[in-house]
Amino acid sequence: MKNVQYILIILLGFSFSNFQGQEAPGAKQGKSVLLLNGTAHLGTGEMINRSAIVLENGKIINVMNALTNTINNSDYDTVIDIKDKHVYPGFIAINSTLGLMEIGAIRATEDFDEIGTYNPNVRSIIAYNTDSKITPTIRTNGVLLAQVTPRGGVVSGSSSVVHFDAWNWEDALVKEDIGIHLNWPRFMKSSGWWSTPGDSKKSKNYMEKTKDINMFFDESLAYSKASNEGDRDLKLEAMKGLFSGDKTLFVNVSYVKEINDVINFKRKYNLKKVVIVGGYDSWMVTDRLKENNISVVVQHVHSLPNQPEDDIDLPYKLPKLLNDAGVPYCLQYFARMEQMGTRNLPFVAGTAIAHGLTYEEGVASITLNAAKILGIDNVLGSIEVGKKATLFVSDGDALDMKTSNVVIAFIDGRMINLDNHQSRNYNKYKTKYGLE
Amino acid sequence: MKNYLFLSFIFFSIIGFSQEDFPINGVRDKNHNSHAFINATLHIDADAVINDGYLFVKEGRITYVGPKTKLPKSCVVHDVNGKHIYPSFIDLYSSYGIEKAEASPRNDYPQYNSLKKGAYSWNQAIKPEVNGIDTFKDNEKLAKEYRNNGFGTVLSHQQDGIARGTSVLANLASNSQHENIILEKGAAHYSFKKGVSRQAYPSSLMGCIALLKQTFLDAEWYQNTLEEKQKNLSLEAFTATQTLPQIFEVRNKYSVLRADKIGDAFNVQYIFKGSGDEYQMVADMKATNGKFIVPLNFPKPYDVEDPYDARHVSLEEMKHWELAPSNPKFLEQNQIVFALTTDGLKKKSSFLMNLRKAVKMGLSKKQALKSLTQIPAEMMGVYKELGSLTIGKQANFLITSGDIFEKGESIHQNWIRGKKHEVSAMDLVDIRGVYNLNVNQNIRTLVVSGSKAKPSGKLTYDMITDSISAKGDLVLDSLTGKPYKVIRKKSVKVVTSLNDHTIAISYQLNGGVYRLSGNVNFDSGVWDGRGQMPNGEWIEWTAIRSERHKKKKNLDKALEFAKSIDKEFQAITDSVNLGKFNYPMMAYGWDSLPTQKSILIKNATVWTLEEQGTLETDLLIREGKIAHIGKIADIVDVNTLVIDAKGKHVSPGIIDEHSHIAIERGVNEGSSAVTAEVRIGDVVKPNDINIYRQLSGGVTASQLLHGSANPIGGQAALIKLRWGNSPEQMKVENAPGFIKFALGENVKQSNWGSYNTIRFPQTRMGVEQVFYDAFINAQEYEKKWSVYNALAKKKKQEVSAPRRDLQTEAILEILNAQRFVTCHSYVQSEINMLMHVADSMKFRLNTFTHILEGYKVADKMKAHGAGGSTFSDWWAYKFEVNDAIPHNASLLNQMGIVTAINSDDAEMGRRLNQEAAKGIKYGGMTEEEALKMVTLNPAILLHVDERMGSIKIGKDADIVIWSDNPLSVYAKVEQTIIDGIVYYDWKRDLKMRKEIQQERLRIITKMIEEKNGGAETQKAVKKKSTVHVCGTLSDDGN
Repeated sequence: MKNVQYILIILLGFSFSNFQGQEAPGAKQGKSVLLLNGTAHLGTGEMINRSAIVLENGKIINVMNALTNTINNSDYDTVIDIKDKHVYPGFIAINSTLGLMEIGAIRATEDFDEIGTYNPNVRSIIAYNTDSKITPTIRTNGVLLAQVTPRGGVVSGSSSVVHFDAWNWEDALVKEDIGIHLNWPRFMKSSGWWSTPGDSKKSKNYMEKTKDINMFFDESLAYSKASNEGDRDLKLEAMKGLFSGDKTLFVNVSYVKEINDVINFKRKYNLKKVVIVGGYDSWMVTDRLKENNISVVVQHVHSLPNQPEDDIDLPYKLPKLLNDAGVPYCLQYFARMEQMGTRNLPFVAGTAIAHGLTYEEGVASITLNAAKILGIDNVLGSIEVGKKATLFVSDGDALDMKTSNVVIAFIDGRMINLDNHQSRNYNKYKTKYGLE
Repeated sequence: MKNYLFLSFIFFSIIGFSQEDFPINGVRDKNHNSHAFINATLHIDADAVINDGYLFVKEGRITYVGPKTKLPKSCVVHDVNGKHIYPSFIDLYSSYGIEKAEASPRNDYPQYNSLKKGAYSWNQAIKPEVNGIDTFKDNEKLAKEYRNNGFGTVLSHQQDGIARGTSVLANLASNSQHENIILEKGAAHYSFKKGVSRQAYPSSLMGCIALLKQTFLDAEWYQNTLEEKQKNLSLEAFTATQTLPQIFEVRNKYSVLRADKIGDAFNVQYIFKGSGDEYQMVADMKATNGKFIVPLNFPKPYDVEDPYDARHVSLEEMKHWELAPSNPKFLEQNQIVFALTTDGLKKKSSFLMNLRKAVKMGLSKKQALKSLTQIPAEMMGVYKELGSLTIGKQANFLITSGDIFEKGESIHQNWIRGKKHEVSAMDLVDIRGVYNLNVNQNIRTLVVSGSKAKPSGKLTYDMITDSISAKGDLVLDSLTGKPYKVIRKKSVKVVTSLNDHTIAISYQLNGGVYRLSGNVNFDSGVWDGRGQMPNGEWIEWTAIRSERHKKKKNLDKALEFAKSIDKEFQAITDSVNLGKFNYPMMAYGWDSLPTQKSILIKNATVWTLEEQGTLETDLLIREGKIAHIGKIADIVDVNTLVIDAKGKHVSPGIIDEHSHIAIERGVNEGSSAVTAEVRIGDVVKPNDINIYRQLSGGVTASQLLHGSANPIGGQAALIKLRWGNSPEQMKVENAPGFIKFALGENVKQSNWGSYNTIRFPQTRMGVEQVFYDAFINAQEYEKKWSVYNALAKKKKQEVSAPRRDLQTEAILEILNAQRFVTCHSYVQSEINMLMHVADSMKFRLNTFTHILEGYKVADKMKAHGAGGSTFSDWWAYKFEVNDAIPHNASLLNQMGIVTAINSDDAEMGRRLNQEAAKGIKYGGMTEEEALKMVTLNPAILLHVDERMGSIKIGKDADIVIWSDNPLSVYAKVEQTIIDGIVYYDWKRDLKMRKEIQQERLRIITKMIEEKNGGAETQKAVKKKSTVHVCGTLSDDGN
């Protein structure tokens, strides 16, 4: 036993090279750490009031109830007492463009929307900017992982999962090219533009557009069955994984008729993994979704109902409706102000709890549920033995802005610097004004 | 609300009935015959009917109307026994015969100046100089459509622009170009639509309103000024046309009130051309004292068979579908004077059908006739000439088969200025029946059925054929051994066409065509004529009727037919089954407006945000005010609503300093760098569902701000979310005036694409100069006026008053501390700049809104005395917000600056408590400090903290009951109370959700019934819904 502390320690045994500017990635974990006495929200729907969590070599090697197990502090290099604090698996920002957009209004900083209709071969990961000024402000609130996702076109491209503590995108990779993103045609076509929408009309070419997608999938399927040596087609090749089940098809779709068509589409092509993204109407077809093994990345909880007569809290309670129907789902933060707003992902889960989820279901909705949909639940998404040590400690309830205060966070066992340029700027001006 | 003067000098004398000055080709027409219509039911006007009456017409005018009398000599007699005669209808809202306005050429760059050549208004939407008469040309095709629906006269104008010029009142007689014109300038017309003008200003409804008001002032100044002035034909025409009836076209009920307010300000009583939704606010309509011209463009039922698609039809649309046909009835019941128009109907031919629908719904026939004849004639001051069957009036009348307001009756003739126009044949022979048709000695039976006007025939005959068994074998006669013969009834279709008393018949038989032509004799008892056989041979033919058309049977059929297309009537006439009125008329509207009550909230955690702090106690509300804070044992008033709030929290109502909800047609008048003249208060939209949604988030008051598209934007409006009330009732009484300023990327149009690059300013450097220029101009304006005002009364008559300028007056109010500034701002340089401008102009900037770099200049803001209203944690959405920090509010607060947190977003607006709570997380505010960010502090910034923003005895009872600590993400609003009235209650909300579904189902059932009954429908599509943010740009000038 080298160093045992019962009070919170911030930087014990860890050192940061703190540059003015970007936060440097943490040092590789060598020694073992025991997080003791914290209220652990495991992400699995379970919680342990007084927990003992052991991290070693970047992994969680033990998760125990501190009340029912004998804990010998001297077994660990570092012991951090987090009594009265909460510990959570790293929150996951699914369907995110973090690192692909720095400043909304400046086109030069946008890298998520490639030109063209079918771009399955386009890969978000190589554009992912580990040095974004935004990311450090996100992880400050416990969001430690993201699915970096392309947008636009009909097939937008391939997404990858990253963590937020890396020198470059290769370091950041958790899982590469996991999903293909499809924007399903709209049954109702809106006229006007975003600020002054006109009336929607039934789209005349909905059928045409869906047929076009079918054609592309026919081609892709045919290609995937043949050996195409010497005759490689980049687009069709990128689609292969969908048929084998290596990749997940994420379909952006909202209206119930479209959702029904997507379900039929999945069956037609015998696609193994299909996820609905958005799904405003998904609560109306939960039985079909379950039967067909389709998960839902629920649209931004903090959004307005589509119709004046819709329940005013419909977007708030959508997670609860899916949860109760047994449809696998998770939450996301795709909306206006999405990149910088992602730090509010935990509070979106908070709202879902206020509107029906249990607390642990709320935690799961941005941790293990998302990890399952991304296919990374074998290594991430919960505080379980054998998983990566990507987790954090908050002084208070991390899903409530009133109490959220993340004090320690680990990514793969590396303790990360929770500082960011915003808090530095704050301190700079506090000093200027002589405020304490 | 003053009545305008009708023109007392209408030049009827110039209406010659023949063109005396025209050369004559041939001999002179000296036909001075009279026409006598005898034995008719004469509808003299809405009140007087003469049975078996006589009507004489001579040279285009009525010469007699009354009971049977001696016929004039030299007279054509029309025996119209059984028919009805009505005055022809008058439609005051038409563009008949008028050329369309031509649009300026398209250009990618915005057009800031008028492209209209000539000495006209600076703005292309102001065109009172346009006179309909100048381009008026008869249009026989359209005239016929009007005539066929009963109209004899229209008031027609070029329907384009805000001040549209004058209309021409004209008859619709065919080929009577010169005779038709009754009034060269009938009325002056206005609207809130800029029309085809592509000039940038106005780009919003509030801009249209401001432009019209300024035009009034300019016209007055132009007329009165004695100094040398530039020619302005538009202003001259504007003044000159004020003596005419003033007709204002509006798009909805709220705009009736808007137009009326302008009218009140300038002593004009408008006639409102409404949109058909007046019934929804009929008391307010009545209070304008205005007369109305209303359309009968009732919505078609929607396609709602598909339960998914049906969701796109809002309850508001459904209710309007159901209630719109009752609009005329409600106007009548409320004694509002109104005329009816065909305007808005896709097909003029649906006019009578819709008129009858309105009558079925309860509009009296008297009123219907009056609204189509006397009232429009009176509105135009021509009742001496038109609008009733009165001796001396123009002979404009309809002959109908019966009561025109009853289904099935038709218009036979429409006489205009004594000229006959046939609409449907009056004495059509009924050829229906059964005939023995003898063609070339072959007699066959011909059955003619169908309608009287479009009969169709069928020829039946026997055919003798071989009998064939089921197996297909020939059946043989057992006696003869020959094939057994059977008689089969055969029939062929006969094409008949009846033309007066001649008939043509053709049919195909045995592979050849028979074609017959002949005469109809003896009331269709006998037909005869000649025809051609398939072989080309000519033969004689006859048809003798053996049976008359079976009326009874057909009556049943007719009934059945009527029933089928009448299902819509049946459904609608069941007026018991009409849904409730809601306020507003949409989902979550009230059945009746909630009322003020004494409310006792017991055992709550009360966040007073005053010195008392947060207490576990009771709270008494009386007469809309906080009456008592502290334990109350006995309730005095038995009507007190007692709410047990044990475990609940009570906070002051949330006040959103920066909101863009509840605004109609445009949040920005961004078409010019300075638009201080426009006012959000003119365009409050009380039926925005976001009002209700925000109530459910505890918001009780919102400052509705102009957008940030220009350095000096429009004036703001402070409303309380009194859901269900009218625009004026929403506004906070005597709230201090505010105006929106803006700085940075939005005002220099940085993110508006490649073409918005020509308006000054394009840099922050230019922005400063816009302010100096505006303020210095305002100072000079004030000086000019104070010099003038100081003059002695007599002196004043010798010089002219300076021109009044609404824009400058608003800016001057800022300098005189009568109006406060809330300025959209981000980076420190421009914030400092504006404080310098204000310091040197000696006024104080009240609020910097957004103020994301406020933390950098907090000391200077403090010194200047400005407050801040900021986002909790937004940044990175554009370059100028890249240095924003979420600790901003907290730091400003620590510096002693009055700080608020605002939404600028309709969704976030209902979670402002959560946004405030972030102040605890970023920068360590106390909970009370955080809650003040969205309650007391915005009240202070808005200068309403005397009555709002905290829980203090005597303050307005604007409070929220929460399920939990209001700063927690888990807190839900249970009740929102404004002025002691419960405007939101979560239990009522749950109840209403069910009611909304039931009401929808009820109407959906009706719609489907109508559709099955044969009614035309429209597709179920989602209607436009606008959510504004600060930078929302659009051209809403139409």
